[in-house]
Amino acid sequence: MDLNTLMVLILMAPLLSAGVIALFFRDRGGIASAISVCASGVILVLSILLLMNAPEQPFESSIEWFSLGGFTISLGFLLDGHTHLLLFVVSFVGFWIHLFSIGYMDDDKAKARFFGGLSIFMFSMLGIVLADNLAMIFIFWELVGFSSYMLIAHYCDTDEAAAASKKAFIVNRVGDLGFLIGIVWCFWKFGTLNLSEINWAVQMDPSLVVTGLGLLLICGFLGKSAQFPLHVWLPDAMAGPTPISALIHAATMVAAGIFLLVRIDALLSPFVLEWIAWTGAGMAFIAGFVALGQNDIKKILAYSTLSQLGYMAAAVGIGLPGLGLFHLTTHAFFKALLFLCSGSIIHACHHEQDIFKMGGLLKKMPITSIAFLAGMFALMGANYTAGYWSKEAIMTAAFAIDGPIFWFLIGGAVLTALYMGRLFLIAFLGKPRTDKVKHCKESGPVMILPLLILGVLALVGGFYTFWPEVLSQSFFSEVNNVYHGEEFHHAHETLKIWGTVAWISGLVIAVLIYGVGSSTDRLNAKLPGLVLVFRRRLFIDDIYDFYVAKIQQRVADTLGFFDLFLISGVMVRGSAGIAGLLGVFSRSLHVGSVHGYVYWFLLGIVLFWAFSMGWF
Amino acid sequence: MVFDSTLLLLAILIPLLGGFTLLGFRNLSSSVVRLVALTGFTVPLLIAVWLYFMFVGADQVDGYRFLTELDTGLSFFGINLTLGLNGVSLPLFFLAGIVGLAAGIHALHSEAANRQLYLSLLLIMQAGLMGTFASIDIFFFYFFHELALIPTFVMIGIWGGFGRRSAAIEMTIYLTLGAMLSLLGLILLYNASGVDSFNLIAIREYLLSQPLSDTLQNNIFGLLLFGFGILVSLFPFHSWAPRGYAAAPTAAAMLHAGVLKKFGLYGLIQIAYPLLPQGAGHWGPLLVWLALGNVVLIGLITMAQRDLKQMVGYSSVMHMGYCFLGLVTFDAIGVGGAVILMFGHGLSVALLLMLSTAVFHRTQTYDMKEMGGLASRTPILAGMFVAATFASIGLPGFANFWGEFAIFVALWHYNPWVMAIAATGIVISAIYGLRAVAWVFFGKPSEALEEHWRENKPFELRQGERLAATLLFSGLFVIGFFPRIFSDYVDMDLKPYFSSEPPALVQSVDPVEIQSEVLVADVATVESTVSGEGAR
Repeated sequence: MDLNTLMVLILMAPLLSAGVIALFFRDRGGIASAISVCASGVILVLSILLLMNAPEQPFESSIEWFSLGGFTISLGFLLDGHTHLLLFVVSFVGFWIHLFSIGYMDDDKAKARFFGGLSIFMFSMLGIVLADNLAMIFIFWELVGFSSYMLIAHYCDTDEAAAASKKAFIVNRVGDLGFLIGIVWCFWKFGTLNLSEINWAVQMDPSLVVTGLGLLLICGFLGKSAQFPLHVWLPDAMAGPTPISALIHAATMVAAGIFLLVRIDALLSPFVLEWIAWTGAGMAFIAGFVALGQNDIKKILAYSTLSQLGYMAAAVGIGLPGLGLFHLTTHAFFKALLFLCSGSIIHACHHEQDIFKMGGLLKKMPITSIAFLAGMFALMGANYTAGYWSKEAIMTAAFAIDGPIFWFLIGGAVLTALYMGRLFLIAFLGKPRTDKVKHCKESGPVMILPLLILGVLALVGGFYTFWPEVLSQSFFSEVNNVYHGEEFHHAHETLKIWGTVAWISGLVIAVLIYGVGSSTDRLNAKLPGLVLVFRRRLFIDDIYDFYVAKIQQRVADTLGFFDLFLISGVMVRGSAGIAGLLGVFSRSLHVGSVHGYVYWFLLGIVLFWAFSMGWF
Repeated sequence: MVFDSTLLLLAILIPLLGGFTLLGFRNLSSSVVRLVALTGFTVPLLIAVWLYFMFVGADQVDGYRFLTELDTGLSFFGINLTLGLNGVSLPLFFLAGIVGLAAGIHALHSEAANRQLYLSLLLIMQAGLMGTFASIDIFFFYFFHELALIPTFVMIGIWGGFGRRSAAIEMTIYLTLGAMLSLLGLILLYNASGVDSFNLIAIREYLLSQPLSDTLQNNIFGLLLFGFGILVSLFPFHSWAPRGYAAAPTAAAMLHAGVLKKFGLYGLIQIAYPLLPQGAGHWGPLLVWLALGNVVLIGLITMAQRDLKQMVGYSSVMHMGYCFLGLVTFDAIGVGGAVILMFGHGLSVALLLMLSTAVFHRTQTYDMKEMGGLASRTPILAGMFVAATFASIGLPGFANFWGEFAIFVALWHYNPWVMAIAATGIVISAIYGLRAVAWVFFGKPSEALEEHWRENKPFELRQGERLAATLLFSGLFVIGFFPRIFSDYVDMDLKPYFSSEPPALVQSVDPVEIQSEVLVADVATVESTVSGEGAR
């Protein structure tokens, strides 16, 4: 098969799966799950096939999809190093999440809808990865938003899911608004939306890069990758089933934002890059604090995602997008692992998510716990795990290039170890604190297998030098330069010590503050005010809620009132009355005296004249 | 080809005959009624499909294919029943066929009292709609619109819901006013052109060689703009629409909101803009403000709605704003986008109106705050409603998206700020659309509703409703995935009249500041091809 056919098949397999499920197997959860998992397996196999036959040079092919006047949207594929890497991450991690879902969703009532949604999600994400132009990215971008909406709303009987799904889509649309404007601007500026043509044009003439355009385009990134100020949807999205959280946080949705940054890297002016770096660094640091205030195991992990995305953004911001991609990949491994582990726990504990109601999980669910530990160490950046190589590289580069950014990042690293330590000490150690946890059992093999595979990758996936070249080519030179280059030598030597100190000190602080297997939040007991600020997410969500309820809605209601009262009520609803009045009025015109008629005639002429002059 | 041209006439005559049969013979058995009605609704769609496939090869006169001319005895006034389709009318002819059949199926399965009369009026409406979009003769274009409009009033008056009397009156006054203004404009145009013919092709030919004076253009265009604008619920002449649709019986509302409303825009695209470019430039700046009012103000007002049907009605008003914005750009991208959006919006609003009625049958209320929890009880209804909502807020994969996207692209070239303001609509529509979904389908049902459901268990969508919805969805999906089915034809027939260069009077900020020589060359080729085809 040639490359084009392969890519078409990769894209069509999940769409077909979703279509078949929606049309024929709405009520047959078992068949639906089989179809969906098979589709993801097919994607994985085809992707590997594609990677084995990957061309040396970037490969492009496109057909015209839509065309009006001088404007054309094409449906095209761009296959280069970035595509290879992302294709692998999405299909590989996605497959294990699919497999895990079979076990996790076994007793769900709307299984078919769930698996159909998973397929749509894969379709949308693969579309972004393969797209060769901005319009197509935008199309699949929106579809990712829709799929996440559909899956977050899975437990739609709960008010939480209803609100969270809505919030996720709307917040993303706010980002898409800027993205859309940016894309349209891009079209008129470059006369094309094709990524390679834009890159080429910028290379020919660097003055084409405009800060405003970059700022508009990164709005899309801020929305999808949940960066300040559009980060609020991601923690709420935990209302969806846990495999969805794993998919959103690891392989698909948030990764799309970083991927976009890499794709449009050429269009980002220094100011925009600086902006991205600071947004990222700030988020890497602050999200850690907020995670300390959360008791829900998934929410803690959600804030850790925000923080890790901050690292990736910072890497792009300091001008080394390859490092961001590398961290994206390792993060996909260990974050998917962590979420699947928490899914395994939640499934076993009958949907208990509060870490203070758990405890003693290490003994109850040993395999899950070990896997969790592996993911946790990778997340903290413990030496030689997958997360170590990628995170360390980002921090090293930041140390050498932009000092202030570095301090935020290393602070984030300490906090990461602190809140993950807290999570582990409370939920996994000590004694079970509720009956649900007392009776929980280790999960079945369908759920364990993905944990083991991803667990191994979380530990050893960072040895990038052993990766197949087709995957590592998009970041190899940058990462290698950071570790072995002359300019980073000093930074690297320093970070060897500091990085280790950071995560160990975080763990030690966690033990000191929270103790082992504690049943209450000891920090909360000591500093309730501070924890409240963390728990309320620094009040950012409250500000938004205030805006929505008190400002936006009031404006809408006021306008609605005017519409009803003035336009509809006064002008029209009394139309019968007005018609009646007109009748009375026109009767009074017929006064019967020539004098009166002359005046009316004059008025008519004046009106007619004014009208023909175009005054009204 | 004579056969294909006759088909165009049949698409009008068959539903019309069906309508009169049902109206005249009151003692028909119900199976005969069904048969007549189904024939009347199905044949136009089949003809539309057939003509679509015949479209490429057909002979054309000035872009119009399947030309057919009948002397109706009015030729003294220059009026002949001239039928034909061009690339712009093709999607709308198709739209009328699809929505007509869907509304017909819905009506056949409804429990309306005196269903035979209901069906006969719908059939007459259907005939009018097919005729409107197939007419080349301006007189008949208008005539068929009235033929479809009058049954609407009657149907609201007889089968309407709560508040039907005042809604019917309000709608009648507004729409009659709009129709009269546009008629005045059309007659003036006929007079001014001096070709003694209502035939659009003849008028076009004449006016393109001898444009009217500026004052005349401005005045005629103003009349047409506001006349047609009222019919399309241009801000601030919109208040009839939400109330009218809320009160109208479902099938009539589907046909009116979905198809008949597009008459005004269609008239502007086919008649006013190509023939009166100067007038279009003159009124452009004002129209931009009004259309932005449609998008932003009405959008915000939609957010304030608690009543499901009103919400759908207002959202439809809002989306008409995009269409106007597309027209304002006077660019094949924007106007073409408007045509695609008209098609997509017609299907999606018909769907939403139909599904809202279905929701009402299960909840006995239109107050969205009093609903909830339907998703787990009627999953298919919920799934379809969600899909229809996403279609209407412009999700890719549905026809509407292409229209909106193209309009945004063209609008930037017209004025970037206008585009930025208009684009906020995508957030606004997401807010009201998803909030409605969350209120109606998600969460827990209200207590009153739970009480109601204890005795009347909520039932799934019935076969008829499902069939109608599937029909509408298939249109949305097919164009959503393969937009070129229509966009190529639309583009082809718009290019001669709508250049990619804005007219002189239109204020435009040109964002293209390309310094790279290579790119300048690229753009130059694009422009030369465009203008080359424009000249042709």
